[in-house]
Amino acid sequence: MPETAFPNLIPALPEIFLAVAAMLLLMIGVFSREELAARTAGYGSVIVLIVAIVFVGLVAEGRVLTFGGAFVTDPFAVFVKVMTLIAAAAAILMSRSYLEDHKINRFEFPVLVLLAALGMLMMVSANDLIALYLGLELQSLALYVIASFQRDSTRSAEAGLKYFVLGAVASGLLLYGMTLVYGFSGTTNFDVLEKLFADSNAGAPVGVIVGVVFIIAGLAFKISAVPFHMWTPDVYEGAPTPVTALLAVAPKIAAMGLFIRVMTGPFGDLSGQWQQIIIFISIASMVLGAFAAINQKNIKRLMAYSSIGHMGYALIGLAVAGQTGSPAVQSDGLHGMLVYLAIYMVMNLGTFACILLMKKDGRMMEDINDLAGLSKTNPALAAVLTIFMFSMAGIPPLAGFLGKLYVFQSAIQAELFGLAIIGVLASVVGAFYYLRIVKVMYFDQPEDGLDGPISFEMKSILGVMGVVILLFIFLPGPLLSGAEAASAALLPG
Amino acid sequence: MIIQSLAFYLFAGITVAAAVMVISARNPVHSVLFLILAFFNSAGLFVLLGAEFLAMILVVVYVGAVAVLFMFVVMMLDIGVAELREGFLQYLPLGGIVGLILLLELGFVVAGFVISPEVSERFSAPAPADIPNTEAIGQLLYTKYVYFFQAAGMILLVAMIGAIVLTHRSREGVKKQRIGQQVDRRPEETLEIKKVQTGSGI
Amino acid sequence: MYTAAVFLPLIGSFIAGILTFAGGVANEKTKKKIDRGSQLATVGAMLLAAVAATFAFIDIVVHANTGNVELFTWVSSGTLEFSWALRGDTLALVMLLMVTWISSMIHIYSIGYMSHDKSIPRFMAYLSLFTFFMLMLVTSNNLVQLFFGWEGVGLASYLLIGFWYEKQSACAAAIKAFVVNRVGDFGFVLGIFATFVLFDSISFDTIFGLAEDKSQATMSVFGGDFHALTVICLMLFVGAMGKSAQLGLHTWLPDAMEGPTPVSALIHAATMVTAGVFMVARLSPLFEYSDTALTVVTVVGGSTAIFAATVGCVQNDIKRVIAYSTCSQLGYMFFALGVSAYSAGVFHLVTHAFFKALLFLGAGSVIHAMSDEQDMRNMGGLWRLIPVTYVLMWIGSLALAGVWPFSGFYSKDTILESAWGAGTEVGYYAFWMGIGAAFLTAFYSWRLLIMTFHGESRADEVTLAHVHESPKVMILPLIFLAMGALFVGFLTFDFFVGQHTKSFWGNSLLILDSHPALENAHQSPLWVILLPSVAGVSGITLAYLMYMLAPDLPAALASGFQRTYRFLLNKWYFDELYDRIFVRPCFLLGHGFWKSGDGALIDGVGPDGVASAVRDIARRASALQSGFLYHYAFAMLLGVAALITWFLVARG
Repeated sequence: MPETAFPNLIPALPEIFLAVAAMLLLMIGVFSREELAARTAGYGSVIVLIVAIVFVGLVAEGRVLTFGGAFVTDPFAVFVKVMTLIAAAAAILMSRSYLEDHKINRFEFPVLVLLAALGMLMMVSANDLIALYLGLELQSLALYVIASFQRDSTRSAEAGLKYFVLGAVASGLLLYGMTLVYGFSGTTNFDVLEKLFADSNAGAPVGVIVGVVFIIAGLAFKISAVPFHMWTPDVYEGAPTPVTALLAVAPKIAAMGLFIRVMTGPFGDLSGQWQQIIIFISIASMVLGAFAAINQKNIKRLMAYSSIGHMGYALIGLAVAGQTGSPAVQSDGLHGMLVYLAIYMVMNLGTFACILLMKKDGRMMEDINDLAGLSKTNPALAAVLTIFMFSMAGIPPLAGFLGKLYVFQSAIQAELFGLAIIGVLASVVGAFYYLRIVKVMYFDQPEDGLDGPISFEMKSILGVMGVVILLFIFLPGPLLSGAEAASAALLPG
Repeated sequence: MIIQSLAFYLFAGITVAAAVMVISARNPVHSVLFLILAFFNSAGLFVLLGAEFLAMILVVVYVGAVAVLFMFVVMMLDIGVAELREGFLQYLPLGGIVGLILLLELGFVVAGFVISPEVSERFSAPAPADIPNTEAIGQLLYTKYVYFFQAAGMILLVAMIGAIVLTHRSREGVKKQRIGQQVDRRPEETLEIKKVQTGSGI
Repeated sequence: MYTAAVFLPLIGSFIAGILTFAGGVANEKTKKKIDRGSQLATVGAMLLAAVAATFAFIDIVVHANTGNVELFTWVSSGTLEFSWALRGDTLALVMLLMVTWISSMIHIYSIGYMSHDKSIPRFMAYLSLFTFFMLMLVTSNNLVQLFFGWEGVGLASYLLIGFWYEKQSACAAAIKAFVVNRVGDFGFVLGIFATFVLFDSISFDTIFGLAEDKSQATMSVFGGDFHALTVICLMLFVGAMGKSAQLGLHTWLPDAMEGPTPVSALIHAATMVTAGVFMVARLSPLFEYSDTALTVVTVVGGSTAIFAATVGCVQNDIKRVIAYSTCSQLGYMFFALGVSAYSAGVFHLVTHAFFKALLFLGAGSVIHAMSDEQDMRNMGGLWRLIPVTYVLMWIGSLALAGVWPFSGFYSKDTILESAWGAGTEVGYYAFWMGIGAAFLTAFYSWRLLIMTFHGESRADEVTLAHVHESPKVMILPLIFLAMGALFVGFLTFDFFVGQHTKSFWGNSLLILDSHPALENAHQSPLWVILLPSVAGVSGITLAYLMYMLAPDLPAALASGFQRTYRFLLNKWYFDELYDRIFVRPCFLLGHGFWKSGDGALIDGVGPDGVASAVRDIARRASALQSGFLYHYAFAMLLGVAALITWFLVARG
């Protein structure tokens, strides 16, 4: 007889809460008037996400396994989950006026974001290949839907479809890799896999390695790393802007968290095998992100390449974590990577908030040239966007610079000099297009100003993100110690 | 054993062949039919494994529901096959080479497939003998794998919401039966009683 | 008191500086108030500083109290350690007193002279800032602080020469002054380094104390061993030459006349240009041990005196004449220093400050009256129209020419007698050069006076109709300066160079017994004493003959001695020479580096090349994004295949 003990639900409390709340909001939405439903779901979902953050914080105590070892919470999961939930909440907050303007303000949107967030949390907490896949699919499916949420727009529909089909291909690759791993090891559980590879002296069979390569490919798709990035610009451009804001941040962070966990956990002892691949992907992403963005005129497309590049920088940390020999250096790599991701989240949310404010006569503007002379028509917004752009370009003393500093430093400590040098060069090239936006805002002749006034939600998001980026250098403590604990939780010793 | 092996290779071979036909058939209706064939043979493979419940489900759900739905869609949409095929030949050599390379490599991997004792140990979670197959799956699904089961449920929920969100439109001017309204209707709202003088007309 | 005297001008400058910014946004009426406020603040601060300086002078020099003030530590790095400190000895206090009072007068004068200008607060701020730096320079107690003041006055001078920055020539002159001074400063900095190498300190107290011990030390320069103090002194003297416009580095001074006239008076006559003289006097304990350096100083000084005087004779711009006269007088001061008559040099410095400021401001008054006309050929016959200025200019000129009993007589004669009294070849050289220069000085002074004030008026009707005596605010400082030009020499002679000289200077100047020029000066033969006066009077007579009695003679001479005339008019072709030797090759070199080096090579391969390569790559990279779904999917598969292949192949 199989064991019948009731599983411990406490570690999964945030997920369960999120699932129940999402369904509740769905029910409320279905049975109430359209406008009311949208508003309830909108604000309700933000509250739900905030409560979920609280729950995540509450259940955080050491490393706890549940559901037969398929689900894990540890400081790492807590750190990544908090970031993910913040990103999701911010995306919903930012979406309201856009959805209203485009007459797609429906209650399903926040509910789907909640479900996507649920998927992300599951990914982060996955301790089993099946759990990994299910979380990933839940997240992806919800995102496919909201990418084409503006269904009357061809571009939105096209974006959703492209994302869906390519996502399916990626899922196929991932599943194929997982079956290979399972076939050669006989288990899907991370802990068992880890022990298996740690024990076997002869190293893993070729089949497992190939499986890992497939898994890397599948996950690289989710973080839009080169060469699995092709969907990113098209989807970013086509999807409604708040969705792009969500896509650019939350799933990236969750997928990165998952990536880190899979690579350092079950396949940690195979790092000699996959490190080269990560380095390659990292370099390719940084370089492509830097170069391809230069020609872009659409700011959302530009942000797509920007995020490709940023993922490349973050992957440096993972490559460092794959450097066997020195646990301290490995930990530094992960630490830098997590800090980088957190800063990336703040910068991107802020930037997308600015993009969402690019409205003229009620119509959204996406061309960079529409920002011309913003410094004259709306100096405050221009200043905030400038802060974000400088930060993305990595100009001291802004947070973006420190993020880059941490990962590059860890790469140098791990003696991955080539990676660090290419990273620095790529960020020099990348600085070009960030600074071009600043140039357009400050030196080009203004056309008509953007629509005002700016809503309270936007103001507070812009304010908070801007202040964080500006002042991070003075108060990096909380983030650094959180990332420290998170990275320590993953590495033995 | 021989018969089992023979049956396995038969089912497996037909499945693969049918799968190839699904993507190479010129007529989409044929594709769907080949898909159904592949499903049936997969079900056969499940039966060979002793998982008759899964086999039944596969037939019922995939063949009965999904494939038929596909069929409807394909027939209603009248997809221009020729257009889809444009460019197929153009990319065939390159795609073929890449596919071939991948195939060779995977073949190489599979050739190195050695089942070590520990691994086969982990595989063996034999179906309990004393309860039926269906019940065993149920017990496993709702205890050990409840997390996966619920997660899958959430995925399906999302799929459902997605389908509604993306396709459902409340159309204006569509006449629908509203039972509540019909029941609530009072005579005064619809009926006007007029005294009619005989012989004078209205 | 001492500290207050030094820092009050800085405060005034600050206030005026802030008002400058306020003035930018104010309307017409408040702008007037702001102008007034800035004038009050700076002039008030300056006068207070002058009074404070007077008290400090009485306290430290007359009552012989110790006057060193330590403000705070500036640098403490290894053995290099020095503070912001004020040195309280006679030399510093004399300079302090002179600078504050002259500067006060010029501040007051500026109120009137600049009254029509549109950026008065800026001007006043610069003026006060300059004064502060000058005070910093003269009161410093170590070489670096001296250099701070030195560079500070250089900066202020640059700002003031280029004050009317709309004028192309003013900008060019400002740059020229800055660049030429840079050449000198380079020498100065090397001198400071060398001093530190030799003494391991740059504090005056330490190096003066050690100078005698090190008087035989040698220093290796470019592989050869040289007498260390000579090397140091010569390097420092290069700095002094730059700042004090000595022959070779003098070219900036005449051009600096592009600045407003009070600036010319303050900086280019009375104070800044004397910084070099001051510096050599201050470092007399070093220079005394190097005969070579003293010889060089004497020769340069004597040559400058005669050179500048010759050029001054043919200039037509009223301010340029006085500028060359300044140059020439600085030459006097230097050869006085060169023959170890430091006190005589400083004495001339002080008297010269009064009468040269007087002359400049008087010239300014003329220019003001003539509606900014500076060419003497367009003047003449002004003495009836502006009698007060006329009288004041006479006083100044008499002092400059060294006529008894004006100040210049005392100082100039002492210098010439000292040069004779030194008894060396260079001393005699300097003496004869000085006599020649004295003759020329008198000549061009009266040439100036006659051309400006006498004869037929050559100005046009409109200008002439506007000629008016300057307002009181301009005339009063002139009268004060005239008093100085009249009496300072007579009153202070005994203290500076006369019988009280030893007790007056205390130990702020060092003269070795082997250099008895000043003592000998008092026992000069009668002809030596009389010769300067004779030279002066004959110069005056010649000028009177040429310009008053026979006004056609100069032109005839000029055409008769075409070559000589052109040679002098073009200032011995120094500017042209430098243009050929330095400026043009520099431009050519720069142009070459710019076009071929920077433009073609560095930009082409570097920034531009990289940039165009980046653009190219960027275009290709974005071209990859075809938008076709199957391209994207294929790219993914390709990626996987490539990764696996790479992995399998790499793994063998």
